[in-house]
Amino acid sequence: MAELELEVLAEIRRIAADELEWKGVVEPQHDLVRDLQLDSLGLTVLAVGLENRFRIRLSEEDAQGVRTVADLAKLVERRVATTARTPTEVRS
Amino acid sequence: MYSASGQDSSAPFIRSVGRALPPHYASQEQLIAAFRELWAKRHFNLERLEDLHRAVQVGGRYLALPIDAYPALVTFQQRNDAWIREATALSEVVVRQALDDAGLTPADVDHVFFVTVTGIATPSIEARLANRLRFREDFKRTPIFGLGCVAGAAGMARAADYLRAFPTHTALVVSAELCSLTLQREDLSIPNIIASGLFGDGAACAVLRGAQAPGAKGPRVVASRSVFYPDSERIMGWDVVDSGFKVVLSAKVPQLVKDHIQGNVDGFLASQGLKRGDIRHWVAHTGGPKVLESFEEALELDKDALARSWASLREVGNLSSASVLFVLGETLEKVTAKPGEYGLMMAMGPGFCAEMVLLRW
Repeated sequence: MAELELEVLAEIRRIAADELEWKGVVEPQHDLVRDLQLDSLGLTVLAVGLENRFRIRLSEEDAQGVRTVADLAKLVERRVATTARTPTEVRS
Repeated sequence: MYSASGQDSSAPFIRSVGRALPPHYASQEQLIAAFRELWAKRHFNLERLEDLHRAVQVGGRYLALPIDAYPALVTFQQRNDAWIREATALSEVVVRQALDDAGLTPADVDHVFFVTVTGIATPSIEARLANRLRFREDFKRTPIFGLGCVAGAAGMARAADYLRAFPTHTALVVSAELCSLTLQREDLSIPNIIASGLFGDGAACAVLRGAQAPGAKGPRVVASRSVFYPDSERIMGWDVVDSGFKVVLSAKVPQLVKDHIQGNVDGFLASQGLKRGDIRHWVAHTGGPKVLESFEEALELDKDALARSWASLREVGNLSSASVLFVLGETLEKVTAKPGEYGLMMAMGPGFCAEMVLLRW
């Protein structure tokens, strides 16, 4: 797993524990809805947390095909890479 | 205690419902603009937060204070002091209005049920109203704190219970909710941001009279039923923190409505020998768009059955316990109900729980 992907995974675990009151473990293969029991509000909290931490924007279109924690981590990694290549999108 | 015609002769009457909104209107876009700077302290994608505010389908809110007065309210004491002052003033307006509409005076009032979840006061607000309005010295007081959005319907049900025991008496159900004064500005969590887009301020007062009170007329409260959902304490409520009330709000509310309300309503109506198709007037708490959609879907209602709830949500936002009384007031004033027609008030709130109140014109 790439370094950034691991960093995203760690952040997902932090958000789940600190902001979503999730008491269980969070593994890459876990389904966001079925295993982590995230509802629409929970998914929004998770998305906003990742946007804040990695200074990216995630859209509805991005979310298509994202089912597991690993899918989400890969999406964030891709978005970070895209954002870094677009100077106007870079935020300090 | 049913008469030969099947009507409950002990059922109390609803005489009037007074409603008032505070004077400081702010459109949703004005509120979003006011919040943007605050959100930017923590959040990166402000467009997402703006979308969350717009998704609740509220056009604007009437605020207890001018919008620029809120940043100075930092402590719980500052917020609650403002709440006591404004809740008392707004409650006085609605009580006077409701009593006037019913052709009554404060001296006719035997019992006041005061409901709220947005501030605390001891003596409670109905005592402060007594000093302004001069209720009789033997008037009875029941302040109810903590039922949240369900308290408008639950207050009506408890007042009706009381009036069955004292059928010559007059009771008021007063709701004052100033949700804007509970806002935790520094809480930049998503549930709090959604709540800050949805909830508004307002007060309402319903006048109910017992079946043997003189000049009784209006729809009767035929029956009511409370439903408690076990193990759902974190669905909705407050965490009481040093700075006041921090909102607990789960996205599971619409699903709870979908899962339970049909069975709850059908069971309650069956106990009265009725079916859903017998209900002509639906008086639903405004909740939020997803809650109203869930009511419509679960109860298989026509598109316009909840039109007054949708309109209230768009115009003034969710007023917590006052919302269902606003919808009731609109129903009494704007709908030409025929004698014998049934209506159903329904609301849900922290517990989690539901309250249903059956009306008959």
